[in-house]
Amino acid sequence: MIEINGLYKRYHNHHGSDWVLRDINLSIPKGVSVGLVGRNGAGKSTLLKLIAGMDTPERGEITRNCRVSWPIGLSGGFQGSMTGRQNVKFVARVHGSRYNVEEIIKRVQEFAEIGDAFDEPIKTYSSGMRARLNFGLSLAFDFDVYLSDEATAVGDRAFKAKASKAFKDKVGQASLIMVSHSEGILKELCQAGVYLKDGQATWFDDVNDAIAAYHEETDAARQANGNSSKPAKIEQGSDKEEVTIPEGLTLSQARQQLRQIKDEFDVAKAAFEQAKADDLIPRERKAYGDAFRDARDRLHEARRQVQALTRLRREP
Amino acid sequence: MTQPTNSADGSGGRSPWQVTRSVWYAMFMREAISRTMSDRMGWFWMIFEPLAFTMIMVAIRGFIRGDNLIVGAEFIPWMIVGIMGFFLIREGMMRGLGAVGANSALFAYRQVQPVDPVLVRNFLEGMLRTFVFLLFMVGAELLGVGLFPDGGMRAMLWWVSLWSLGLGLGLIVSVAGSLVAEVGIVVRMVNMPLLILSGVIFPLNHLPHWLLEYIMYNPIVHGLELLRAGFFEGYKVVHGTSATYFWMFTLATLALGLLMHVRFADRLKAK
Repeated sequence: MIEINGLYKRYHNHHGSDWVLRDINLSIPKGVSVGLVGRNGAGKSTLLKLIAGMDTPERGEITRNCRVSWPIGLSGGFQGSMTGRQNVKFVARVHGSRYNVEEIIKRVQEFAEIGDAFDEPIKTYSSGMRARLNFGLSLAFDFDVYLSDEATAVGDRAFKAKASKAFKDKVGQASLIMVSHSEGILKELCQAGVYLKDGQATWFDDVNDAIAAYHEETDAARQANGNSSKPAKIEQGSDKEEVTIPEGLTLSQARQQLRQIKDEFDVAKAAFEQAKADDLIPRERKAYGDAFRDARDRLHEARRQVQALTRLRREP
Repeated sequence: MTQPTNSADGSGGRSPWQVTRSVWYAMFMREAISRTMSDRMGWFWMIFEPLAFTMIMVAIRGFIRGDNLIVGAEFIPWMIVGIMGFFLIREGMMRGLGAVGANSALFAYRQVQPVDPVLVRNFLEGMLRTFVFLLFMVGAELLGVGLFPDGGMRAMLWWVSLWSLGLGLGLIVSVAGSLVAEVGIVVRMVNMPLLILSGVIFPLNHLPHWLLEYIMYNPIVHGLELLRAGFFEGYKVVHGTSATYFWMFTLATLALGLLMHVRFADRLKAK
């Protein structure tokens, strides 16, 4: 059972600071897994840090009547110059003599599956390896509530599957408070949801409702930004060409397309230059030249589409 | 050193003291390894640095002459005691300076408070310095230089006192240096003049009285003189040396340092 009463939080900086969280009142029942949703900067990670006791609120209080983990995620928790093993030892010792250090090391090593890197300094790890280690470490302790801040975001598929399986195994003994932008994993692991917007938190008994509320906001934001899902013809000023954006093309799709076309262009360009260097007769060279020019045109078109979509998103 | 909310949490009913103790243990093991093992020659430098320093100073003083200014003690042992005592304080301060920053990643675990690394580092540094000093004593004795303290208890008392002053300064500097980066630069800058002003290399006896009046505001002088008095029977301390002043100063720095840690704990963690 975690209770949050009248919580206010802001970060101080040199030019006046606004509240990140404003009057949050929540009570999270025992054994209920909660997904935190909201846009970037809504205060999800801040709330998680406060629940973990890493940070202190300006006003209000948090009562934890259970064992709460640290926020499992990308940021922090490990000393870069020490090896994975030494970090694990440290955390095991901090959590007291109830835990057998050797056993914890073994469990973490088994879960993380990072091989010999376990005895290398953490600063040499990739973000995926860090996430594996951090995740495995938190699972080695018997917490009542696990806090996850995008802990699975950087993992590969095998790790994601392993992580969600590990959490499912813990159902009944432990619950989860997680921040994630992957809705699949939220729906899979959480029952309830908290939706954060403008520093306010809304509790939903069903995580799907929280996700729906979040969608409503993002859809509204997209609407306000000129709704890029409709076919749009944009005037880009007199000196620029018109761009037609095919129906249903989103920015990420357009970016992907651009990358693909860029690759094709690079191939065509290399072939063309090779042909030139080989001193082919003009007739034979023409095919390469045409392919090159064609690829260049397509590349420019794709780039314009991406730019137009980016602009659409930025300014309504 | 844990937050009050923690005592209410049912983490197996660990009391704040138990939590703090396991944090100190974990941190001590961590710091001990990184202090002695991480540098390739960590151990070597720990012993060689004061040794080389002493030898250089002896060589310089051999040219300048003036060994006869010290009443009641041989010059070389006199200087070794001073250097060791000064290094104890200086390292206490310098280790404190980096303690919070170097461990900031570990504040992710709410059991760990910013004051913990400072305390642990100071303890570790003191233990190492004590060990090195003992080695020096044995080594000097083998070379025929009398370095065993004449008043063992007094020497130990003042050794611990200097340790406390180093801790107090380390506590203050760790907070101030983490919040205001410039403090670190100033502290490093002050190191060298402090070595001379504390009467580590040159005896202060022959300084004019008006100058001595100001120099005696430096508590390190008092501590070092009293440490030497513990080592050498019949040693004549610098006029105006006061144990009371030293301890008033030390207790004040300890109190101020701890208060600063209480006051700024949140800000240090957020850094």
